[in-house]
Amino acid sequence: MKLYSDLEYLKLSKGQKFLYNLRCFFAAIPRWFAKIGIAIGRFFKNLFLGIGRELKDIAMTFVHGDWKTKISYVVMGFGNIARGQILRGLLFLAFEAVFIFYMVTTGVNWLSKLPTLGTVGPHEEYDEILDAYTKVYGDDSFKILLYGVLTIFFIIAFIYTWRMNIKQNQTAEKILATGKPLKSGKDDLRSLVDDSFHKTLLALPLTGILIFTVMPIVFMILVAFTNYDGAHNGFSNNLFTWVGLENFKQLLSFSDGNKVYTAAFGEILTWTLIWAFFATFTNYFLGMFVAMMINKKGIKIKKFWRTVLVLTIAIPQFISLLYVSKMFAQNGIVNGFLKDLGWIKDPLPFWTDPTWARFTVIIVNIWIGIPYLMLIATGILMNIPADLYESAKIDGASGFQQYAHITLPYMLFVTGPYLLTSFTGNMNNFNVIYLLTGGGPDKAWASAAGGSPGQTDLLITWLFKVTTGAESKYYQASVIGIMVFVVMALITVVVYGLLPSNKNEEDFQ
Amino acid sequence: MKKSLKLISLLLTLVMVLSLGACGGQKDPTTGSSAAPQGSTAAPQGSTSSGSQLAGTYDIKVWCPENAVSWTKEQIDSFNKSNTDGIVINATVEAVGEGDAATSMITDVEAGGDLFFFAQDQTARLIEAGALAKLGKAAAANVLENNEETSVIAVKSGDELYAYPLTSDNGFFMYYDKSVIPEADLGSMEKLLEDCEKAGKYFSFDVKNGWYVASFFFATGCSSEWEYDDNGKAIACRDNWNSANGLIAAKGLKAFVSSKAYNNSSSGADFAAATPSAIVVTGTWDYNTIKDILGDNLGAAELPSFTVDGKSYHLGSYTGCKLLGVKPQTDAVKQAVLHRLAQFLTNEECETKLFEQLGWGPANLAAREKASSPALTAFDAQKKYGTPQGQISGGWWDIAKAIATNVENATDEKGLQDALDIYKEALAGIIDMPEDEATAMTVIGAIAGTNWDTDFEMTQKPEGTWYTTEPIELKKGDEFKVRMGKSWDVNFGADNKVNGPNVVVEEDGWYFIKVVVNAGLTEGVISLEKNSPSTGWTVIGAIAGANWDKDFDMELQADGTYKSVDAFDLEAGAEFKVRQGQNWDNSWGNGTDNFKVETAGKFYVVFNPTTTEVSLSAE
Amino acid sequence: MADLKKLSEKTPENELKKHIGLKASRTIGNTLIYILLIIMTVIWLTPFVCIVLQSFRCESTYIVGYVIPQQWGLDNYKALFQTDFPIWYRNTLITALCVSVLQTVIVLCMSYTLSRFRFKLRKPLMKFMLVLGLFPGMLTMIILYRVLKDLGLTQANAVPGLILVYIASSGMGYYISKGFFDTLPKSLDEAARIDGATRAQVLTKIILPLAKPIVIYTILTAFMGPFGDFVFARYISMNTSKGMNVAVGLWSWLTPDQVQYKYTMFCAGGVLVAIPVTILFLCLQKYYVEGVTGGAVKG
Repeated sequence: MKLYSDLEYLKLSKGQKFLYNLRCFFAAIPRWFAKIGIAIGRFFKNLFLGIGRELKDIAMTFVHGDWKTKISYVVMGFGNIARGQILRGLLFLAFEAVFIFYMVTTGVNWLSKLPTLGTVGPHEEYDEILDAYTKVYGDDSFKILLYGVLTIFFIIAFIYTWRMNIKQNQTAEKILATGKPLKSGKDDLRSLVDDSFHKTLLALPLTGILIFTVMPIVFMILVAFTNYDGAHNGFSNNLFTWVGLENFKQLLSFSDGNKVYTAAFGEILTWTLIWAFFATFTNYFLGMFVAMMINKKGIKIKKFWRTVLVLTIAIPQFISLLYVSKMFAQNGIVNGFLKDLGWIKDPLPFWTDPTWARFTVIIVNIWIGIPYLMLIATGILMNIPADLYESAKIDGASGFQQYAHITLPYMLFVTGPYLLTSFTGNMNNFNVIYLLTGGGPDKAWASAAGGSPGQTDLLITWLFKVTTGAESKYYQASVIGIMVFVVMALITVVVYGLLPSNKNEEDFQ
Repeated sequence: MKKSLKLISLLLTLVMVLSLGACGGQKDPTTGSSAAPQGSTAAPQGSTSSGSQLAGTYDIKVWCPENAVSWTKEQIDSFNKSNTDGIVINATVEAVGEGDAATSMITDVEAGGDLFFFAQDQTARLIEAGALAKLGKAAAANVLENNEETSVIAVKSGDELYAYPLTSDNGFFMYYDKSVIPEADLGSMEKLLEDCEKAGKYFSFDVKNGWYVASFFFATGCSSEWEYDDNGKAIACRDNWNSANGLIAAKGLKAFVSSKAYNNSSSGADFAAATPSAIVVTGTWDYNTIKDILGDNLGAAELPSFTVDGKSYHLGSYTGCKLLGVKPQTDAVKQAVLHRLAQFLTNEECETKLFEQLGWGPANLAAREKASSPALTAFDAQKKYGTPQGQISGGWWDIAKAIATNVENATDEKGLQDALDIYKEALAGIIDMPEDEATAMTVIGAIAGTNWDTDFEMTQKPEGTWYTTEPIELKKGDEFKVRMGKSWDVNFGADNKVNGPNVVVEEDGWYFIKVVVNAGLTEGVISLEKNSPSTGWTVIGAIAGANWDKDFDMELQADGTYKSVDAFDLEAGAEFKVRQGQNWDNSWGNGTDNFKVETAGKFYVVFNPTTTEVSLSAE
Repeated sequence: MADLKKLSEKTPENELKKHIGLKASRTIGNTLIYILLIIMTVIWLTPFVCIVLQSFRCESTYIVGYVIPQQWGLDNYKALFQTDFPIWYRNTLITALCVSVLQTVIVLCMSYTLSRFRFKLRKPLMKFMLVLGLFPGMLTMIILYRVLKDLGLTQANAVPGLILVYIASSGMGYYISKGFFDTLPKSLDEAARIDGATRAQVLTKIILPLAKPIVIYTILTAFMGPFGDFVFARYISMNTSKGMNVAVGLWSWLTPDQVQYKYTMFCAGGVLVAIPVTILFLCLQKYYVEGVTGGAVKG
C-alpha cells in the first residue's frame, strides 16, 4: 500500500484519513505477529544467555573470592556477618534455615507427589461392633498440587536469594578493596524511607498480589491440564491426575463428540463480544448525552438530577438487579401494569425469549451504567476549553457540528483507555447477567456442553455455572478461563494499536 | 538501593515462608479443621458393648432447611434425653437450603454438615462425591423394615443404602383456584387450559426442568431408568423417551407450551403474581403459602390427562423422598453415633412431629398412616400414576430440561422428533445406553438352523433403522419376520405392514436383514442387504495412496467372508488392518497386529469373521 | 430562506429578533430536557420505591402482583432482628471498615510509587499486572477458598478471611489513583526534596494532603465493595450463618424453599443495607466525581 508523508496526510479529507488509518492498521497486523514472535525469541535468547552469564559469574566469584565468600556458598549470610553486616547476614541465615527446615519436613513430600498428584485414594472400613463404615482418606490431589506449586515458588525464591547472597559478597569484597566502609544495618534501614522508599511502599501490595493473585492463577492454569471435576475431586472420591492437553483437544478438536461444546463456546463468545460492544457504547453515548443535558445552561437543580441517577451506583446491585429481574418476569409487575393499561394482551417474554432477553439485559444495563458515564462525562466536558466553543460559534457552527467536531473527539481522545477497560470489564460483567437472567433462557441444544449454558450467558457466567453445576467440571472452567484470557489479550493488543497516536495528541495541547 | 530491595524481599519471603510452613505442615490430609476437635471428644474405647462405647459428648453440625431448624433442635434435645447409651449431642444447626446443602457438600465434604437434609435428585451426585456415609447392616435393615419400597429406592445405589428417608412426599401434583376452575374440568388438560385462558390466568408448570417434564413422558409409558453400582457410579441408562411413545408425549408437551395460559414456574406464590396463575403444579411444601393466598378457594388434585390424536394420557410424575444424610467420618465411634441420631430423627415419633409442625408427609410407614392433609391426599392420588425416583445422574437434569425449549421451538413433527434426537444424543454422550429390550427389534424365523424359536439381535443406527448385529446365512425358501420386544404385538412381514405374511428368501447367501420402522410403529420396510453401514467391515491402512485415513468398503460374500470391493495395488511392506464399524477395538490384521504385505501385486483383501483371519486373494 | 438571510444581516432590529428566537428555541429545548429528565427520574426511582414499599408490607411475605401494601407496618423490620441479620450486618460493617482502611493504604502505596518513582522494574511490573488482570478472577475462587480453609479462615471465621483476600489483591486496582497522582505536578516533590525532605516525608507532608479527593474516592469504593459481594463471600462462609455478610445472608433468603417466607424481609434487609451506603455515597459524591474523572480517564 502507498504510504503518505506527513504533508500528504494532512491534505487528505476526513474520510480518506480514516480509511488510510484503517488500512495502516490492518497492514500492520502481520508485523505485530512477527514482532511478537521476535520478542519471544529474544526473550528466550536473553534468558539462556543470562543464565549462562550468571553461572559463570557464580563460578568466578567462588574461584576469586576469599574464604568468607567461599563459606557463604554453603552458609548463607556468613560473609555479611564476618564483614560486620550483622543484620543482613542474620536475615540470610534465617532464610536458609527456614528453607531447609521446610523442605525436609514437608516440601520434599509435596514435590515428590507432584508428578502423580497422589496415588492412594480413600476407602471405607466396616466396624462390626459399631455397625458403621468409617472413611479412611488417602492423598489429597488438590493439596498436592497447591503445595507443590508453592514449594516450587519457594525454591525459586531460595535460588534467587542464594544468588543475591553471593553477589553481596562479591560487591563487599570490591568495596573493601577500595578501602571504603560497608553500609551498616542502620544505613539499610534509613534508605528504606528515602532512596529505596518505593521498595517499602511496594513490598506489601506485591506480596499480596503474589500470594493471592499470581499463585492462584498459576494453579488455575495447571488445573486445565488435569481431570479435576466432581467425579474426581481429589480427596473424598477419586484422585485427579494430569491429562496433558486432553481438555484443550476437547474444545478445539471439532470432533463429533465435542461438536456441541465447540459450537456452544463459539456462540457464547460471539454473544459475549456483542454484549460487550453494546453495553459499552450504549452507556457511553447515552451517558454523554445525559451529562450534556444536565450540564446545559439554564437547566436547574442539576444536583438533584445527578443524585437521582447515581442511586444505581450507591445501592448494591444484588438488591436492585434482583428486584428488576423479578419486575420483568412473565408474571411480574411490568407485564401486569402493561396489561392493566390495555397496551398488551399477552405478556412480553422479557426473560423467556432469547432475543427479548438479550435486548432486555442491554436495556437494564443502561439503567445501571449511564450514571458512571454521566459522572465521567460531566468532569471531562467541564474541562473542554470554552474558547473552542466560542470560536466555533463565531464560525457559525450548529450545535450538532459543535458536538461532532469538538465534544466527541475530545471525549473519545480522553476516554480512549477507559473505553477499552470498560469493554473488557463488560465482557466479564458477571453481576448484570447472573442477577438478571441467570444466563437464561435455555440454550437447549447445548445442554450437553457442560454447565448447561443459556442464551444470555457470557463466558464468565458460563464458567461459573460449569464449576457449580451438576458435574462441577473444574478443568473445563479452567480451559474456558484461559480462553477468556486469550480473547481479552487479543482485544487489548489490537485496541492499543488503534488508540489515538501521538500524531493527533497535539490537537488538544 | 539494590541492597535494600534485597533486604525487603528477604523479609517478605520470610513472612511468606513462615505462613507457608504453618499451613503446609499438616502432613496428614485427614486432619480437617472440622474433624480435629471432635475426634478428641470420643469416649474412651475398650468397653464391651457398643452402647457404652458410644457414651460421650459430641459436637456436630447439622444442615437443615430454615423452616425445619426448630424441629431439628427439639428432636436432638429429646434424643439426648431418651438415649440410654450416654450420648450427648451438642449440635450447631445451620439453616441451609436443600439445593445449597448438596452443592456445598460436593464442593467441600470436610466443611459440610455431619447430618444434612437433601432432596432426592441430589443422591447420585452426593454418593459420587463421597459425601454420604454408607449405612451399616443393622441400620439398613431398619430402613428396609420401616419404609415402603418406593422410599428405599431413593436411598439405594446398587445393593447399598446411603441415607435415611425423611419424607416421602417429594412429588408434584396440582393446586388450583376453585373460583376459576370448575371441578368438572379437573381431569382434562385441554379444558383446564381453556378455563385459564378465559380467565386470563396462568397454568404454571415448570416443564423446563427435567423433574417436571418427565410427567409428559411417563404419561405415554416411557421410562428412564438408571443403573448404579454399589459405590454410586452410574453404569447404564435405560431410556426410551426417543420413541414412538416419546413423540406422543412431545406432541402433548407442544400443545401445552403453545397455550397462552402456559407459564413456566413452580412457585406457589404465583397465585398472587401480577398476572396470577389459576393452576400451579408443585408439591406439598407450597401448601401453606397457597393456603395463605387462596384460603377456601384452594384446591389440590392429581394431574390431568392430555389428549393426542383422540387418545388421552394421564400425566405421570416422579415420586420421591426428602432424605437425611450422614457425612462420612474418619472416627468410627462418631460415625456410629451419627447413624444412631439419624435413625432416631427418622423414626415414627419424630416424623409425626415433623408432619404436625411443617406438613411434611412422613416416609416412616407407621407415621404416614396417621398423617393426613389435603395436599397429602392429592399427592397420594397422583402417586398412582407416579414413578418412584431412583438415582439419576447429575448430568441428566441439564439434558432433560432442554426438551421443553426444543419442543417449544419446533414447528412440525420433525422438529419434535429432532428434540427427542437431541435428548438421546446428549444422553448417550454421558452414559452407556443399552438398547431397551422392550423396544428392540429382532429377527425370528426358520433360518440358520432355528425354527421360530430364536430371536436374532438387531442393532439400531440411525434412529428407526435396524440391522441384524451379525450377518446371517439364508437359504432360498427360508421364511422369517421381524418383531419388537421379542413379542408378537408388533411384528412386520413381507408387505411391510404389521402382522403381514412371512418374508421368503429368494436367493442363497449371507445377509444383513434390515428393517426401517416408522415412528408410529405401523410400517416396517424389510430388505436384505449385503452390507450394513454401521456394522460393515472395511480395510484401512497405508495402501492405495491412503495413509490410515480412509476406509475401503468390503462386501459380504456367499460363504460368510468379506472381500474388498476393489483390488488394491499392494507394495511389499505395506501395512493395513480390517476393522468393523470404524472401531479399532474390533480390528484385525495379523492377529491384532497390522497385516504386512510380503510380495507386491494386485490383491483383494479377504476377511473371515469367524476365524478373524485376514488373507489376500489375487485378482 | 429569505428570513434567514435577513436575519443574518446585522441590524439592531434583527439582533433583537434573533435574540428572541434563540430564547424561544432555548426554552423549547430546555422544556424537552426537563421532560426527559423527569421521565428518567421516574424510571430510575421506580425499582427503589417498589423495594421500599414491599418492605412495609405486612399481609404476606411472598412476591405479589401489587406494589402498594394493603397493610402497612414494620413487621418485616422487626422480624429481621429475630434472624442472624444483625450478625451479618456487623460482619459486613467490620469487613467494610477494615477493607476501606487497609485497601486505601495499599492502593495509595502502589499508585503513588508507580506514578512518582522511576525504577528498572516499573514498566515490566505494570505490564505484568495488566496481563494478570485479564484472567477471570472468578476461577481463583476455588483455590482461594482452599488456602483460606487451611489457614482456618472460612465458615465461622470467614470475616478475617474475606478481609485478607480483598486487601491482598487490591494492589491490582491502582489505575485510577495513579491517574490522579499523574496530574499532580512533579515540581512539588522536587522542591521538597531540595529542602531536604526524605521521600517518605514528601508523601506524608506534601502529596497526601493534596490527594484528598482520591483518598476519599478509594475509601468510598473500598467501603462499598463488601456490601455487594455475594459470590466469593458465599463460597467462603460455606453456609455458616455466623460468617456471612449481608449480601450472602439476604441472598440465601431467595432460594426456592425460603423465598415464600422471606421475600418481604429481603426487601427490608435491602433497604437497611442501602440506606447507609447511599447516604455515605451521596455525601461524598463530590469526591467520587473528582476521583473518577480525575483518575479513570487517564488510567
